[in-house]
This record gives sequence, structure tokens and C-alpha cells, in this order.
Amino acid sequence: MIGEPFRPGGVNPALVTPFARDQAVDEEAFRELIRHVIDDVDGLVPCGTTGEFNYLTPEENQRLVQIAAQEAKGKPVIAGTGAPSTKLALELARSAREAGASACLVVCPYFLHPSDKGIYQHYYELAKALPDMPIILYNIPQVVDAYLPRRVVEDLADIPSIVGLKDSSGNLTYTMEILEYAGDRINVLIGHDEVVLNALAGGASGMILASAQVYPEVWRGVLDAVRQGDLESARRLQRQVQKLSRIFCRYGGGVAVKQALKMMGVNAGRPRSPLKSVGGALLHEDRAEIQLELEKLGKIQPRPAEFRIPIEPLDTRFEKIGLTAEMIGAEKMQVGTGSTGKDVESVQIDLLCGAKDGLMGEAWAYQLTYPRHGFEALTTILEPNLAVRPSTLIVPTNELKDLRQANMIYGPVQNAVAKSIVDKLAESVIPQSIVHTHVMLVQATVHPRALDRRVLHHNAYEATCVALDSAFVEV
Amino acid sequence: MFSKKTEWFRGIFPALVTPFTPDDQLDESTYRELIRFVLPHIDGVVPCGTTGEFSSMTLEEKMRTIDICIDQVAGQVPVLAGTGCQSTQETLELTQWAKDAGATGALVVAPYFLKPAYNEVFDHYKQVDKIGLPIVLYNIPQCAGTHFKWWTAEGMGLALDNVIGMKDSSGDMPFFAAALEKLRGTIGLFVGHDEVVGPAMLAGADGAILASANLIPDIWQEIYQAAQRGDAEFVQRRQKEIQILVRLVVRKGGPQAVKEGLRMMGLTSMSNVRLPMIQGGEFEREDYEDLRTQLENLGKIGSQTVHLGDREIEYALPADLPPPLQDLTLCVGEGFAGPPLSEVAHIDLLLGRKDGPVGKAIRRAQGEPRPGHELVIINHHPLTMLVPTVTVRGAKARQLVYEDAANGIKLALEHAIAHDNLPEAIVDDICLIANVFVHPAASIRQRVKINNYKAMRGAIRKALEGRPTIPELVSEKESARHPFRYAP
Repeated sequence: MIGEPFRPGGVNPALVTPFARDQAVDEEAFRELIRHVIDDVDGLVPCGTTGEFNYLTPEENQRLVQIAAQEAKGKPVIAGTGAPSTKLALELARSAREAGASACLVVCPYFLHPSDKGIYQHYYELAKALPDMPIILYNIPQVVDAYLPRRVVEDLADIPSIVGLKDSSGNLTYTMEILEYAGDRINVLIGHDEVVLNALAGGASGMILASAQVYPEVWRGVLDAVRQGDLESARRLQRQVQKLSRIFCRYGGGVAVKQALKMMGVNAGRPRSPLKSVGGALLHEDRAEIQLELEKLGKIQPRPAEFRIPIEPLDTRFEKIGLTAEMIGAEKMQVGTGSTGKDVESVQIDLLCGAKDGLMGEAWAYQLTYPRHGFEALTTILEPNLAVRPSTLIVPTNELKDLRQANMIYGPVQNAVAKSIVDKLAESVIPQSIVHTHVMLVQATVHPRALDRRVLHHNAYEATCVALDSAFVEV
Repeated sequence: MFSKKTEWFRGIFPALVTPFTPDDQLDESTYRELIRFVLPHIDGVVPCGTTGEFSSMTLEEKMRTIDICIDQVAGQVPVLAGTGCQSTQETLELTQWAKDAGATGALVVAPYFLKPAYNEVFDHYKQVDKIGLPIVLYNIPQCAGTHFKWWTAEGMGLALDNVIGMKDSSGDMPFFAAALEKLRGTIGLFVGHDEVVGPAMLAGADGAILASANLIPDIWQEIYQAAQRGDAEFVQRRQKEIQILVRLVVRKGGPQAVKEGLRMMGLTSMSNVRLPMIQGGEFEREDYEDLRTQLENLGKIGSQTVHLGDREIEYALPADLPPPLQDLTLCVGEGFAGPPLSEVAHIDLLLGRKDGPVGKAIRRAQGEPRPGHELVIINHHPLTMLVPTVTVRGAKARQLVYEDAANGIKLALEHAIAHDNLPEAIVDDICLIANVFVHPAASIRQRVKINNYKAMRGAIRKALEGRPTIPELVSEKESARHPFRYAP
């Protein structure tokens, strides 16, 4: 090796690979992504796991490395060049070097499960064939289904061109073991977004992360704080991005990162088949959660939300479902209301109970034939297959604009209403004699920007209890 | 050939469930009744096995249970007592006691929770072997967390004088094949995983110890006899007929599944499982509906004459349930069935008289346009309207809702009528609204259909029977786990 060996460290994004609608690599989008991120990072990692490297042809792999080198403003490019076979891994490393890579990131060979000897020989052959190409070992058992064995790493660290190990396992006992046995010779980079602070505090030199193209400045802050011994600040910063990091790590990886970038106005393209943009590994519900977390981080502006708390006389609040004050009065239906909490987690519950064979029964049955978009009525359940009695519909009063808002109503709020009803049934506040003769309807007013599910659950429970107490006080 | 096989260790042995009284004591009379029920069809019994919740019982309770079992069986069939405990010392104590009490043999589970090394497991059995009671090794890695390797089973089978058999509940066919290769003829080899009994017996197993043999000992005996005479075609056909039932039992909380099934079939005093296992837990409520469907299909749940609306009708009523509601104004049933996640089915079902609120709602809805929520009458006998919960977007979603989910619901109606869950006599008096949720990410059409079938079968029964009941709701209100309550 000539000159000072490359020592990997700092903040490095594992770049996504944008694909166009026709599945081709969208080179222009890739350049734009790098321009978006380059000033906040110490190096670039194209063609990693987040970059869907295993769906790329060797030619595409080389081209992406070349673009990264052109756009890197002189910062190091660590090219993903791993492959199931040693022959292909070598070919990729060679072409990455030609394209201007500073180092290569080589994943533990996967699919067939080579023995320790086979794994050692894989890296040894690479190093022997390309002695001037720095190699970073890559442990990611979530996709390889095997750990890079520590004893192999311990020996590989003696090879001069092997300069680092990226550990994406999130298993800190493994990270600590590598630091213990090889940390004197190679740098350890943390590759799991949920434990960055922990790994840095344990001695890791830096990070290669999917989320470092979404919030690199947070990771810069964590790194600086740990280096200065300011653990308090480091913890605060890590905590800020904990949920988003968890979603990126566990619910879709690069696919989730692409959705986040898209929300932030950065065109990161689509994933390559068989991965889906959303609805596969990344659920619609989790995409909605990404949006909320980016709002909290200030990365995107919240959508304007209309929000109205019903304040008109209680017996006139049910006209949307076809029951007027006169009807409610004529059939002596039970009406109650309760509201609890403050700010965006406040909940108001307006509740109506009436006989099945009267106007209430008609309105109730009609609601289930009439799912208005954003106001869908569902029966109230403690959990699936455990619907409460008397049968109760929940209808939101403010239109639900997206799946995240829907989750708040049909998750914590519904569960709280159910629990409250069964508690009041157990206390005989709701007479047990009416469970099969009456039905109930709950109109739930929840702020569209409600954040905290626990608080929401608590408030919805309290509000429903108050509403039930007032509705059944005279029965 | 060197052989330690005994004449008595062959055939069908139910792993008996253990009934408890309301104050959580051993329920002796129900236990005796259970043994009387299975005895005509079986070749031996296993008290205090995994299905018998041995791990939730005290040493004294296990002793008493084994004692009652021996007394009730009265020598008609062998009693293979579950005596395996976590520590060697306790295992020795219980096995010695079982020997003195007159048990025919002992079923000894691999020591569990802490993970002894293979030589430690070997020495554990070696000490138990010295007691002198015939020993059956018991491999159940799903619970014990320890898996025998075939060479440890072989080593113990050959070296320990009183080891006369092995029960393998792993369902791991390569393991069982290796055991047959190494030990067949030397010790008796039993299969303990209900889903692979047919294949194991045709491959040479000597018998089976099964949770589901509490419920269908007669069918298992038929399968065993057929395997003995080499009738592979019969074994395959009969195993297939009970496969859904036994998969529920094996994978969805064995003891509770068996106990619920026995109650449905007539042993109404049978208790639920002991804590921390609970009703509606591992054996989920959707599994309860499935189990009931399977027992109906096998003719194990009879029909009774009940009043429904203003008619007398035949209704397939489990022995432990009160008759259905009489008032058909507006009956509400909710049904949920999965997996997989994207193909889950959720149905809010309304069932009621045509001249009541349900009929009125259908007539009113038919006159109104519903863009994105096209309402379709999918069945005429009884009249059934399908309402999609979420807006239907695109051709794929339309197919999943209006073809696959609709076909599942229609099939459920057809079967419910055929099996007296939806009595023929009332179908022209009533109408139904099925508000159906199909996830926009669903892709497996067959699962959408099957899950909607299951959800609808359950929803119909729950609507007519007024389930869940108040006691069910109250007992589960603290432990219920709502899937959408928590952050990702």
C-alpha cells in the first residue's frame, strides 16, 4: 500500500438507488440526492443494502460508484461491492476502483452459507488481488442470515488493506466483541440506526446509515457530543430520531427512506421489483407514521388541518347520522358527553344510546351501509373478535385525511371507548338488561395532529366514562 | 436383533387434558368422565403430559392426577405417566412415585428452560433409568427449548436399559426419519405432532401420543388401524379430513383448544386452562370459531330444537352455550380472521328481519348512489348486501372485494345453512348487511376468500348468539390487546 491507509469514520449515508417507473436507474435523481446530502456528511456509500445492491447489474454498480465519485466534492466514496461469489465480488471491487472509489464495503457472502474457512478465503482473495483497495467488512445478519464470525474478523484484521468493519446487526454484544478483538487494528462503523449513540460510546469510529441521508445533521450532533463527552446531548438527539430510525431499520429499509425523502421533496425514485414502494415491507400505516415524525423533526411542514369541536346543544350533534333533537327527545334516547385533556391530545366523546326497534336502530343500520370517506363508522372492539355490547359504532366528527389520523381513531381511541363501555357495564352504570335491546353510537372528536397514543387513550377513556355516566344517570 | 420394545407401547394414546374446578383445584369427576369418553377407542393414556398442563401443576397435584387416572383406567389400558420435571431430583421423585403407584411407564420430557449440554441430558435420563420403571424419552423442542439430536436419542435408546420408547413431538421429519433408521425395532417410536401422524405411521412409527386424541380418539384409531394394514390411501384421506382441526390444536394453544372442543361436544364441566394461559389467548377467538366449524364438519356437534324469532328451528348448538337470541330485530356480529397480515378479513355484520331496521337500511341504500362504495346484493337466499368499508380504488381492489371476499361470504352463508348455523327456516324472513374490510395491500386472492369465509361464519354465529357475552367481555377487558393501539 502506498501512502497513509484510509481510515473510515464520521457520518456516511448508505445512499438509496433511485429507480424510474421503467425500473431503470435514474441517474439524475441519484445526482440530486447526493447534492442534497453531500455538505452534511463525511463520505458516501453507494450500492449498499439500502441501495438495493443485490438488484444491480455489475455495469449499474460501477456507474453509480462513478456518479458518486463525481459528485462527492472530494470526500471518500465507499462502494458496496459485495456478492455471493468471490469471483463477482472481486470483479465489482475492481470496477469500483476504476470508477474512483476510495474503499469498498464487502458484505459477508450470502445465500449458500460458507464455513468460517470459506469466509476467510473470500476476503483474503479480494485483498490479495487488490492490495491497494481498502476493504471494509460488513456484518448484517438480518439479510445474510449469518454473522461474520468474530474469530475470522480477528484474523482478517491483520491484513493491511482491511481497514474497517460495518456492523449493522444492532447486537451490541457483537460490536463490543469486535472492538475487543480487532479494534486495535480496524475501525468499527455502526450500521444500525437505533443504537448509534451506544456504539459510539462503546468505541465505534463512525457510522454508515440509511437515515444519514434524511437527518445527517442529527448524527453529526450525536458524534460531536459523544466526542466531547456530552452524553446528555447525545441521548437527547438520538431519542429525537429513535422512532424514525426504528421504522427505517425494521420496516422496509431503503423503501422507507425513499418515502421519507419523497415527503421532503427529494426525488428518490422507486424501489426495484419485487419490492413495492408501499404496502409490502413498508405498510401504509408506517408510511403515515414517517410523515408525522418528519413533521416533529421540522423536516416537513404539517398539512393544514381543519378541526372543529362540536359545541352546539348536545341533542343536535347527531344530525349527520340522521337523528334530530326531536327524534332523540321523542324516543327518550340516552345522551351523554365528556371531554378530557388539552391541546392536540384532547378528546370529546358525544354518545347516544337507543332501542334497536326504534329510530336509533334504523340510523345505526343505515350507518353501516354508508361509509363516508374520512368518516367511516366501525363497531367498537376490545380487540378483533371481541366486540363490545351493547353494539357501539364509532364515527369521527372531523374528516380523517390520512391513514395516520385513522389509526388514532381506530386504535387507541376505539380501544379506550371499548374499555370504558365494558367497565361501565361491569359497574352496571350501563344496565345489563339493555345489551341486546339497545345500540350505541359514539361521535369522537380527536385533533388531526394528535401525537401521543398513550395520552390519547387515557383521555378517550376518561371522556367516555364521563359521557356514559351522564347518559345513564337517570336510568 | 436387540430389542427393548414392549407389547403395550403401541397404538393411540391421548395426552389427557387436566380439568380444574372453579376454585382451581383438580376436578376429579370431570377427569374420570373424560377418561370414560376416550377409553373405548384408545390403546393407552397419558396423564400429566404437555396437553395436561403438567408444567402448571404442583408435584402433589400431578401425583393425585396420575393416581386418579390409574384408578379410573383400572388396568384396561396402560397408563404412561408424564413425570418429567426441570430438575433431575424432582423428576426422580415423581418417577419413583409413579412406579410405586402402579403406572405402566413414564414419559420424561427433556429438562427444560435452562439448557443442559448433551452429556448433562444423557446423565439426567441415566439417573431416571435406574428407577426401573419403563421410560419413554420425550422430545418437544417447541416448549422445552432443547432439541434432541438423533445421536443423543440413539445413544440413550441403546444404552439405557429401561428406555423402551421415544415420543417425538417436534414434527421434524428428518429427525424422526433418523430415529427410525437408528432405533426402529430397538425401542418403540411414537409420533407426537398431530399434523404428521399419517406420514410418520406409514414410515414405521409404532403409535402416537396426541392432544387431539382427546377430541377424536375414534378417528385416530381408524388411521392407526389403516396404517397397520398398510392402507396408505385411507390414512392420507382421513388425515386430510382432520388436518385443519389438528393444526389448530397443535399450533394454537393445545390444551385450551382441546378443552373448548370437549365442552362443545358435551363435556360441559370442562374448565379453561390455568394461568398464565387464558381463554382467548394463544387459542384466539377466531380459532374458537374455526374449531367449531371443523367439529361441525366432522359431525361432532349436534343440532337442537330452539326458538328463533317466532319459529322452532334446528340449530347446531355446542353443548356449553345457551340457545340463540330470540329477537331478530337487529343482530350484530363482528368477525376477524387472518393471517397473513395483508389478507386479513374484518366483517361488521348486521342480521335482522326484512321488516326491521336492517331491511329498511338495505332498501334505502339501494336507492342512493355511493361512488367508490358500490353496494352489491351478493346473495338472495338470504338477501345479503355487501358494503366495502374503505373506498375501492382500482381493478385489483374491485376484484378482491366484489369477487374474492364476496365468494368467501357466499360460501359461508351456504355452509352456515347446511350446518344449521343459519337455519333454513328463517332465511327468507331475514336479510344481512356485511360491512367488509379488505386491506388495500392484499394480494393473495385465495386467502382473502378463505379469511372472509371464516370471519363470516363467526360473525353469523355471534350475531345470532349475542356473543361475546358480558362475562366474556368483563373477563378479558384488562388483558385484551388491541392491535392498532400502539405506536410502531
